[in-house]
Amino acid sequence: MSKKVAVNIISASKIYAPKKIEDLEEKRIVPKMIIRRRLTRNAKIMLFLADKCAFTNGRIVYASAFGELQSTVGITDAIVNETLISPTLFQNSVYNSAPSYFSLLNEDKDEIITISSGMKSSLDALKTAALQALVSNEKVLCVATECLDINNIEEVNNCTNYLEAGAGVVLEIAHDESGAVEIEESKEEGLIDSLSDLVKVVKMWENGYKKVFINL
Amino acid sequence: MKAFINGYESNSCVGNTKELMESIYKQQTGITIDTSYMPESPVGLGKMKYNDFFESLSSVVTAVLQKSNLENFNDTLLIVGSSVGGMQESEQHYFRDKNYKNIDSSRHAISVISDSLEKEFNFCDSRSISTACTSSANALLLAKRLINVGAYKNILVVGADALCYTTVCGFYALSVLSSKVCTPFNENREGMNVAEAVAVLLVQDEQISDSIELVGVGASSDSYHMTNPDPEAKGAIASMSNALQDAKIDAKDIGYINAHGTGTMANDTVEGLGVEKLFGDVYISSTKAIIGHTLGAAGAIEAIISCEVIKQGIVPAQANLTDAQNKNINIPNENIIQNVKYVMSNSFAFGGNNTSLIFGEIN
Repeated sequence: MSKKVAVNIISASKIYAPKKIEDLEEKRIVPKMIIRRRLTRNAKIMLFLADKCAFTNGRIVYASAFGELQSTVGITDAIVNETLISPTLFQNSVYNSAPSYFSLLNEDKDEIITISSGMKSSLDALKTAALQALVSNEKVLCVATECLDINNIEEVNNCTNYLEAGAGVVLEIAHDESGAVEIEESKEEGLIDSLSDLVKVVKMWENGYKKVFINL
Repeated sequence: MKAFINGYESNSCVGNTKELMESIYKQQTGITIDTSYMPESPVGLGKMKYNDFFESLSSVVTAVLQKSNLENFNDTLLIVGSSVGGMQESEQHYFRDKNYKNIDSSRHAISVISDSLEKEFNFCDSRSISTACTSSANALLLAKRLINVGAYKNILVVGADALCYTTVCGFYALSVLSSKVCTPFNENREGMNVAEAVAVLLVQDEQISDSIELVGVGASSDSYHMTNPDPEAKGAIASMSNALQDAKIDAKDIGYINAHGTGTMANDTVEGLGVEKLFGDVYISSTKAIIGHTLGAAGAIEAIISCEVIKQGIVPAQANLTDAQNKNINIPNENIIQNVKYVMSNSFAFGGNNTSLIFGEIN
């Protein structure tokens, strides 16, 4: 048993690059250098996507299968090398860092849920965002990012050609289901599966499908 | 639909749930002073007894299934809350090999916990939450909402985190670890004890004879600092207020608050202030002096403690309390035998992520 709801996709955006995404418009989006310097790559991509979706405040559902890999590697390297662990690295290592930075920068005091469901992370984020929209009757930002651009990632990477990637939508409950469609089966070759369902919804939105069904 | 907690079990540094409650009421800590992570810096840690963390996880889930009204979990949604997932295993490979070649990326991720349980128990679906120390509290928050809207009848919530170097050494880098058993809410407290646990709760839409209702959930973001809580406690007050609003009860209806109460200067000062402003003299204590801070599992194991407080009718004393910093909140020095209708459990996390849960006695 599950419950299906229709959601309006209000805005959507996606971005990915084989290695580092070059222009995330960081200086415009985060003018204060002291904060900008602390941001993780996931945070920068998430802020970029939120900006493209024109989302400034409200509930957020964020997803990432591997979280803040760069910070985690920095900590384990410090342990191996018996050097001091940077407190900033540790605070940035939690999976909810990216949306928390958004909250800080936008004075957003609303709920943040972070999903990390492996290769179905963005699907579960969509389900959770639809639930959050249903119980609040508000617009919800659903955003997922992966940043795997660390040294020697080729030793373990067998899942993506894009080491930095992200997608986001702003959604709300559609009280009228007419015209709603199921999420289309499509495959973005080389993209990590943890983002694929959200990318499908972004592409549907780009093609004019702005109301989709989501199973809670 | 209402959400009922119809079964639970746990494993922590003091043992199973029965042993957990005995330890809490007898004020017998499971924290040990440990030098295995940092030989030159002894710290108090809450270590479970296991050969394989995942075997312990499986046995706790099996215990909940056996005590439940379900034959299997085929019609049950699994929601896992964890802050580190498979980090313990990844560290072992990386520290030995100094490269990633033997790390299985799927066993590194947070979802390794749900993957292993799905394989064994065949849940109808699963999802994993990772919001640091509110992870399993947020898993319970989502479980209640999914039951409320009629999306699922049965949801198994699992909070699970194993000790690893990253968290022990990371919290040490933040200078928030205690070299002895932590002393939450004391004037001269030193810090927290990192710990590990598995805690599992079955949430269902039907009441059984010994159900506890999950009556209210609330969450908020501080929007203040990545690790320090808002000193005016606005975020904590917002999550507690949101939970009260969801439960449709007043602050005076709460009989006991199981505090986040980590033992750090920042957390306990702010949480105490928030409780003082919102509740006045409600009983409040932190059970982290007994089991430590179990990070992503904390919300789930403290939910179990909250349910037990209602069932046993005993408000637990604050262990290790000698001189309370905040004299305007009611921290019991000894166990209070008293019928408690509603218990609130708080969880606060990095990023200013706050979650409050309210459990209620069934009339």
